[in-house]
Amino acid sequence: MTEAMLHALDITNFRSIRGSVHAPLDAKVVLVHGENGAGKTSLLSSIELALTGRVISLERADPAYADQLLLRGAKNGRIALQTSGLAGANTFETLLSPGGVASQNVLPPGPASFFSERCYLPQALLGQLLQIYQDSDSSPDSPLARFVTELLGLDRLDAIETGLLPVADLRNFRKSSTAYAPLESEKQRLDRLIADHQQARSVAERALTAALTEINAAWKILGQSDPIVEADLPTLSEHTALATDDVAAAQLVDQRRSLDSLRRGLAGEAGGTTEAGLAGAHRVAADALSQWTAEHGTAFEALSARVAKLLPTLSIPPSDTRAWHDAAMAQIAAAGREATALTRQAEADAARKIALAAELEVERKNLVTIDTEIALISDNAGSLAELLAEISAHIDSDICPVCDRNFAEKQDGALIDHVHAKVTRLSGSAERLLALGRNRSTQQEQIDRLVREQTTLSARELEPEAAADLARRAADLDAAAAELARLAAPIATRIGLLADETAARRALNEHQALSQSRAATAETLSAMAVAIELSPPDPLKPVADMIGELEAAIDQKLAVVRGRDQARRTIRDSLAQANMQLGRRRDADAALARDRATQRLHDAALKRAGRIRSDGQTIKGAVEAVRAQIISRAFNDRLNRLWRDLFIRLAPTEPFVPAFQIPSDVTHKLKPKLVTRHRAGGAGGTPGAMLSAGNLNTAALTLFVALHMTVTPQLPWLILDDPVQSMDDVHIAHFASLLRTLAKEHGRQVIVAVHDRQLFEYLRLELSPAYANDSLLTLELIRNATRDTELLPKRFQHKTETALRFAA
Amino acid sequence: MTQSLLVRGLVRRLEEAHYTSLSTPFKAASVEFDFTAALTGTGGRSLDLILIVDTATGDHGDRDAASVRQRIHALSRALDVTQSRYLLTVILAGASLSSLVDALSPICRVLSIEDAALEPDGTPSSAAAREALDDQIRLLLPLDLQQDAAAEPSVLADPIAELLAALPDGLDQDLLSGLAAASVRGEAAVTRALGKRVGEVLDLKAGA
Repeated sequence: MTEAMLHALDITNFRSIRGSVHAPLDAKVVLVHGENGAGKTSLLSSIELALTGRVISLERADPAYADQLLLRGAKNGRIALQTSGLAGANTFETLLSPGGVASQNVLPPGPASFFSERCYLPQALLGQLLQIYQDSDSSPDSPLARFVTELLGLDRLDAIETGLLPVADLRNFRKSSTAYAPLESEKQRLDRLIADHQQARSVAERALTAALTEINAAWKILGQSDPIVEADLPTLSEHTALATDDVAAAQLVDQRRSLDSLRRGLAGEAGGTTEAGLAGAHRVAADALSQWTAEHGTAFEALSARVAKLLPTLSIPPSDTRAWHDAAMAQIAAAGREATALTRQAEADAARKIALAAELEVERKNLVTIDTEIALISDNAGSLAELLAEISAHIDSDICPVCDRNFAEKQDGALIDHVHAKVTRLSGSAERLLALGRNRSTQQEQIDRLVREQTTLSARELEPEAAADLARRAADLDAAAAELARLAAPIATRIGLLADETAARRALNEHQALSQSRAATAETLSAMAVAIELSPPDPLKPVADMIGELEAAIDQKLAVVRGRDQARRTIRDSLAQANMQLGRRRDADAALARDRATQRLHDAALKRAGRIRSDGQTIKGAVEAVRAQIISRAFNDRLNRLWRDLFIRLAPTEPFVPAFQIPSDVTHKLKPKLVTRHRAGGAGGTPGAMLSAGNLNTAALTLFVALHMTVTPQLPWLILDDPVQSMDDVHIAHFASLLRTLAKEHGRQVIVAVHDRQLFEYLRLELSPAYANDSLLTLELIRNATRDTELLPKRFQHKTETALRFAA
Repeated sequence: MTQSLLVRGLVRRLEEAHYTSLSTPFKAASVEFDFTAALTGTGGRSLDLILIVDTATGDHGDRDAASVRQRIHALSRALDVTQSRYLLTVILAGASLSSLVDALSPICRVLSIEDAALEPDGTPSSAAAREALDDQIRLLLPLDLQQDAAAEPSVLADPIAELLAALPDGLDQDLLSGLAAASVRGEAAVTRALGKRVGEVLDLKAGA
């Protein structure tokens, strides 16, 4: 092995080292001495910082230790370490500032952790060592387990294994990153969206297919043979087949309408009558009428003249015989009744006039009588009766209270009776007067009524000539009525004859009109047939049949045209539907493309996370295997054997030797069990129970050295920070011997710091250079007058030993 | 040779360990010293001076504690006087008083061995006997490292490096380096490192 060596160390303002010191280190053994607080630990830890960029023992105590590395109050500091024989760079520099630590160059991770764990035993760790052996138990969290775990670097493996626990369970793995749950729910949302899009797309697709099917069905109706496919849809609406045949349809409808009107004009022709027949019938009717006139003409004329005279207001001419006859009958009867009534009224009025005069005379006489009666009765009879009645209350004898004369003188009864009788009499007169008053007014009313009647009668009293005229007219009317009644039957006959003649004439006229239009109709029909591309109809066919045939032909054409129209409508509707569905499908496709792209991103992210998880599982599994390897390697018999060798070297009289009971189950967390074994064989108790305090310290130290020695050293350095606390002289002597063995026989560069002056001197002697190339450096750390740190190096060289003289 | 079997066995064992016997008596600072046996080391141990005192059968006053003490004190003083750097180790072969050990300890390293199972030629009679003998003088013997060169490639001294070497290819390197760096700070940091890496790969742009 190329001997790697620490060469020199420059320290400025690091931890408790104030100012700058230069420490040469290029010797097999370097002994560092200083009082407590002089900076021994600072010096040793600066080596670790320079080599590895950190100080693990400080890091364990305080993760923010880097802030404390610069000497308090200093502006900056520096550590520079020179080495030789390392594969890489041999210059290590670390700059310190209040902001932290900046390392220029450090060892690669492997050698760095070897240095931290197996080369450098800081005091803090030694303190732990002591505690470890005192508190040893077999729980995985015991200080022993922790120490060994940390010493072997298993703490980092444990941290990885425990830290990777979330990868075992997907739920826990999800929680490892806050990004997981949102991403996953976003993916689920996308899945749902995509399912929705697909659904929408397939719905649109089905609807599109249905629309295409309809379009193709209608397309066939339009006589097109090439089926329509999706690609044809955009240009379909401009296809000529979809041009309307409205004009043709309108023409057909017009022709159909013309036929309808022709057919209507045809109505009645079906009677089978002929013109000659009709004319004969009319002649018969006219003859019957002439015959009637010959028979009854004179009488009818006289009657009509008479009626005209009697009823000058009758406007109906006698030629309209039925109406005339009915009106004349009714009006003459009414006029007759009126005339009769008037005559009778006149007669009654005359009689009444005479009776009325007599009645009036009587009533007037009665009125005079009533007036006379009223005049006889005093006007004041009533009030006098009341007065007398009051006075009668004051009559208690026959002496008159008015005149004071004695009524008895009259010899006509008692005065009171007389007054009472007088009052009774007067009261009766008053009642009668009231009654007479009522009678009189009644009488007067009667007279007034009679006078009014007399006036009425006088007013309607006819002149004698007028009365005679009236009587005469009444008689004429009666005569005319009789004449009308007598001629009733002939008149009825005349009415019938007139109706017959009129009907016959009209039938004849209509027939004649129709015959003229038939020829025109046939011609029209023929033209129409040509127009609609039919062979012209047989002119001998009845017009109705011709019309029927044409109608059928036109209806058929119309049906075709309408069917095509219907097909076009269907196509247009379906085309609109298809375009809509195309749009929907396009939208769905776009949404699908977009969301699928996003989904792919999500899938990829989740897949990456899944790979991280599987990698994590792989790593976790590997951690277990590696730990098992390390443990079985580190705790194999070689370690125990080496430890035993070292331990016995330092404590040759101790019968019990510490050893690790190697855990049989090494797949899980290290559960080392510390035991002692008797040198002669057989198990002892735990070291804490079996070993003295000094031997426990020895056990700790030797364990560290054993761990260092078990492996081929990457760095042949052993740096021990004040390792001999609480050791007695014997142990110290043995320990010194061990250091010598390590330094001089095993090529380790040993750096030991001690605070005890005597020990320092003793070690200086013990570790003196033993051969030509052997070397020893002592470094004394002191504080000068200004409290700056000073370092005094002293180098010892080999001298040939000449003390012994041999006799022979 | 008047040496006892035990002394012979010790000398033989030490000579095997590259010590050389000194002829006795020898002089130091002009004073003559006679010991049952004296050996000195070679190489790194060249300053080791070993004296064997046969407290059971020895001559030169070896059986008398006071005499032994006197002689060793005298030699120590003589070495001091000559500014010698010899490191004195006294092996008391045979039973001895602990007071003697205590008296010698301040001035030299003292090893005490009462008995050993030896063949007549001085070799241990069994492996156990050899082990027992070695145990008594372990300090003077070289370390037995039982080196097995193939067993321990030195690059794997770092558990993390060993772990990385044990892992199959194709793992996520960012995850690995993150976990390795975080492992120093404990399991929570590892879990955070895992979460950080998961967060990174979950970034939709990470795959691009």
